[in-house]
Amino acid sequence: MDHFPTNWGRPRNDLHDAYGTYPIHQHPQHAPKDAFADGVKRTQQPIVTGTSVLGVVYKDGVMLAADNLASYGSLARFKDVQRLHPVGNHTVLGVSGDMSDYQYIQKLLEELVIEEFTEQDGSILGPAELHEYLSQVMYARRSKINPLWNSLIVGGVKDGQRFLAYVDLLGTTYKAPTIATGYGAYIAQPLLRKAVEPYTDVLTEEQAQSILEECMRVLYYRDARSLDKFQIATITEEGIRISETRHLASSWSFAEGIRGYGAQTQ
Amino acid sequence: MFDVQSVAHQGPQSRQFNPYTENGGTILAIAGADFSVIAGDTRQSEGYSIQTRYAPKVFQLTDKAVLAVNGFSADGKMFVKKVKQRLEWYRHAHAKDMPIRSIARLIQTMLYSRRFFPYYVYNILGGIEDDGTGSVYSFDPVGSYEREACRAAGAAQSLVQPFLDNQVYYKNQTAGQDESFPTHLPLPSVLKLVVDAFTSATERHIEVGDGLEIYVVLKRDSTAIQSMEGVQEVTTSEEGQRVFYIRRELKKD
Amino acid sequence: MFLTRSEYDRGVNTFSPEGRLFQVEYAIEAIKLGSTTVGIRTPEGVVLGVEKRVQSPLLESSSIEKIMEIDTHLGCAMSGLVADARTMIDHARVTAQNHAFTYDEPIKVESVTQAVCDLALRFGESVHDEDAMMSRPFGVALLIAGIDELGPQLFHTDPSGTFMRYEAKAIGSGSEAAQSELQDKWHRQMTLKEAQILTLRVLKQVMEEKLDQHNVQLAQVTRDKGFQILEEANLKEVIDEM
Repeated sequence: MDHFPTNWGRPRNDLHDAYGTYPIHQHPQHAPKDAFADGVKRTQQPIVTGTSVLGVVYKDGVMLAADNLASYGSLARFKDVQRLHPVGNHTVLGVSGDMSDYQYIQKLLEELVIEEFTEQDGSILGPAELHEYLSQVMYARRSKINPLWNSLIVGGVKDGQRFLAYVDLLGTTYKAPTIATGYGAYIAQPLLRKAVEPYTDVLTEEQAQSILEECMRVLYYRDARSLDKFQIATITEEGIRISETRHLASSWSFAEGIRGYGAQTQ
Repeated sequence: MFDVQSVAHQGPQSRQFNPYTENGGTILAIAGADFSVIAGDTRQSEGYSIQTRYAPKVFQLTDKAVLAVNGFSADGKMFVKKVKQRLEWYRHAHAKDMPIRSIARLIQTMLYSRRFFPYYVYNILGGIEDDGTGSVYSFDPVGSYEREACRAAGAAQSLVQPFLDNQVYYKNQTAGQDESFPTHLPLPSVLKLVVDAFTSATERHIEVGDGLEIYVVLKRDSTAIQSMEGVQEVTTSEEGQRVFYIRRELKKD
Repeated sequence: MFLTRSEYDRGVNTFSPEGRLFQVEYAIEAIKLGSTTVGIRTPEGVVLGVEKRVQSPLLESSSIEKIMEIDTHLGCAMSGLVADARTMIDHARVTAQNHAFTYDEPIKVESVTQAVCDLALRFGESVHDEDAMMSRPFGVALLIAGIDELGPQLFHTDPSGTFMRYEAKAIGSGSEAAQSELQDKWHRQMTLKEAQILTLRVLKQVMEEKLDQHNVQLAQVTRDKGFQILEEANLKEVIDEM
């Protein structure tokens, strides 16, 4: 039974005291609670994360690269994760940031593609349409202060048009001939601008691949949350190819010569 | 050495998601007697990173109105999209293009309706009024607005506005004997001012540069544009005013 | 009559096999019971005139209100169930104010007419959870007069939500005779004064009582003064001049 006389005869679901009729110390603590109130959580920070994604436009299409690591803080937790996700036959999505939000985005896109397919109206979602869709999703979620904690690169080719664009957890978008997310924006982006931007109409697939590989190597040397295993997605008029996992050759012998920090004592 | 005591003293940390960012860039507009010039650079940046060298900030709304949007680019894109949608609804409901002073008022109500979760954007609207005069309206993010002859906004506002005050309003200048300052500048002088303002802002502000886009809205019977290199007409209809587009490169460093 | 219209004139949203909505047609009939109302458009402005039926010598004739202001540049005269018109005019006023607030310009005459007509067909059975709608069509017709960038205009609306623009229009009990008189006498270059006098003449013809400043009302919308209802003194002058 209710032991608070001030509650007697009152509706039991007065969640708030609209007319200030209770002294504060007597305020009913036992109003029926939303049993799931504690269960509603928003992403306040990413948990399992993927690092940089790179994207370039070259002569015949668009190429993306991302390593296979999903980190749990500084722990290299999952080492064979594919972060390049094909959508339809013209588009690849490269994802950095929270991996569970990435999986949610994969689910959204799968539903979207099925819905569009069942229309059977002859229109096919290309990279521009998917980028616009993802922009609206990301912006809507940031506007609810419940973002999908990712930076996405959308690359593709459709109707002879090469497309490369970015969208992130704030809904910020842009198009550019080269794009890099996360740490890559600082390390790889300048290298890509120099090696790719003046030559987007002449670079061959082999050249684009070796530029991306070189950038991934530099990132592996500099980014502590990166891995020496990565994949490359190639999108051309012919379709999508996502490579097998490749290994980056690296040499750390120079580290022996470094003095001034770490384990060395002199 | 790890100090349990000092960690405990720090208390709980709260890290809140910040739904805003700033994407740099600068916009400006100058009104003439029968024209209006609206311009913006095309660099989009976040922090010290250039995201892209070409992201338009100036948008043609109708044949008499051009809107420049600066601040948080995601909000800017959404805002322009919604303004364009409202203009189309208005066209359907009232069988005419919205007059520029109505667009200005509409933008105020749209901005103010988000008073407690604002669009983080500075808007400058330029065009031709129904009476044929060139006009510029400037807004703050929550909808305060006024009609002016010239206005700069964005990252380099503090560099460009004093320059405009001096060159357009003749502030801190004294007219010579039996001389007076003109109330309106001719179009060629305005275009020179705009290009100079942006090249200077590019020199002194890291968030400004890459490219410059200029729109000129001109009263239909005006003769102000005769022949100029690199001017492209982008008017969409036979009645109404005429709109021109000019593009210039800016330094990319 | 009852044979042909059997059953199909019951529901407000049931078409008859010939494709008619009888309740709407009856509502239009109801207007013909209303007092005569006249509107005339001229290049100078629009004139509205109504007959006020003073059924009793004890009735305060000034309390009969059949011409109302919508906005400073918009006026409205009515015939039929005057109470129904209040809903419509209230909507028109709110629409006009909202437009001025949002767009910093006076609303167009056609737009405010359209807004009023959008209400007209919102009768019928309301679906669960939906705002309750009206149970029957409006029983009133309006003459909406106003001036905008397209000049002076006169619109007629009826209970079906149809609206049309007229140079001169009469509605209500005497409308048939009045309309043919308007057709005879109206011409394109009428002055406002001529329109006032024609309005009164037309009303006089169809009224049973002798016309005076107490049993008619005149209003006008002009460029510089907007909407105004003529004071009794002014009205008397026009009547004397007639």
